[in-house]
Amino acid sequence: MFTLDNIQAAFKAALPIVLGYIAIGIPCGILSASIGMNALQVFMMCALFYSGAGQFMIPNMWIAGAPMASIILSVSFVNTRQMLYSAAFAPWCEGVSKKLAFWFAATVTDESFGVNTQQFEQGGWTVQRATFVNLFSQSSWTISCVVGVLIGNAIGIPLAIAAFAMTSIFICLLVTQEITANNIVAAVCAIVGVFACKCIGLTGPAIFLGALFGVACAIVFSRVRARG
Amino acid sequence: MEPITWTGFWIVFVTCALTMLACRVLPLFLLKGRELPERVSEALGFIPPAAFAALVANDLLTPGMFAAGFWPAGAPLIAALIVVVVARLSKSLLLSAIAGVAAYALLVMI
Repeated sequence: MFTLDNIQAAFKAALPIVLGYIAIGIPCGILSASIGMNALQVFMMCALFYSGAGQFMIPNMWIAGAPMASIILSVSFVNTRQMLYSAAFAPWCEGVSKKLAFWFAATVTDESFGVNTQQFEQGGWTVQRATFVNLFSQSSWTISCVVGVLIGNAIGIPLAIAAFAMTSIFICLLVTQEITANNIVAAVCAIVGVFACKCIGLTGPAIFLGALFGVACAIVFSRVRARG
Repeated sequence: MEPITWTGFWIVFVTCALTMLACRVLPLFLLKGRELPERVSEALGFIPPAAFAALVANDLLTPGMFAAGFWPAGAPLIAALIVVVVARLSKSLLLSAIAGVAAYALLVMI
């Protein structure tokens, strides 16, 4: 597992995520500090909860005066999309030890799901390397968030610009997918699904429900086409 | 705003971390090591394009986004188109992220 090859290949693959997490981790730490969270609490969040969206939502909703139950439900609902990533990785974890599979699954994020999926599809990728990608990503996120708490609001990073690094990563992952009729249906229907969810006020689960709708449409489309 | 207390922190932290862990780990362990029917593995293959499209749409599209004029919502859309071109040509996540942030920053500053 801890071979130089594995670590180097994983670091190369993780680098775009690491840089992106530094850019948004620092503002996340600053925001967390603004509701009274200390460095230890932010460290625990990064180590054991580890969710960019969730760790931004908690302080945002707290500042807005949302009740604790509503914070917990919204955050958990937003993170249901992780179930899709977990299911998608199952075939790649065939024959992998339970301990490694658990460690890998427990540290997946939107970005590392994307990078590892790309690498698995290209071939020559292993769950060991994928786990290292996750750990590099999580380390950079944890360090950046804690640094954010410690420096407080001393520097002004415009969050919208920093966050666009993540959007760009998702765009790259999307447009480098194999272009098949089924995949196009999945993507277009997912976009329509997300927009529809937002229109009816389901902003929290929009990613999960939209993606689920995209997958469902692609299944129906491929069956109808197979019947011809 | 009241600062969050240790008790409040524990409640939010423990429940969110547990639901997150369940979402991350359970599906993989339920499906792992089973002979998946072809239909199921085909469906799992649709997750990446659907999920990436959903993540992009979630970042770029909001109902009523052009209410404040074209530019606030149009700038990220134009930056996104630039990223599409860079991504198709380079297939590099790092270049795409750099091009995207640079294009967006420039467009916002105009």
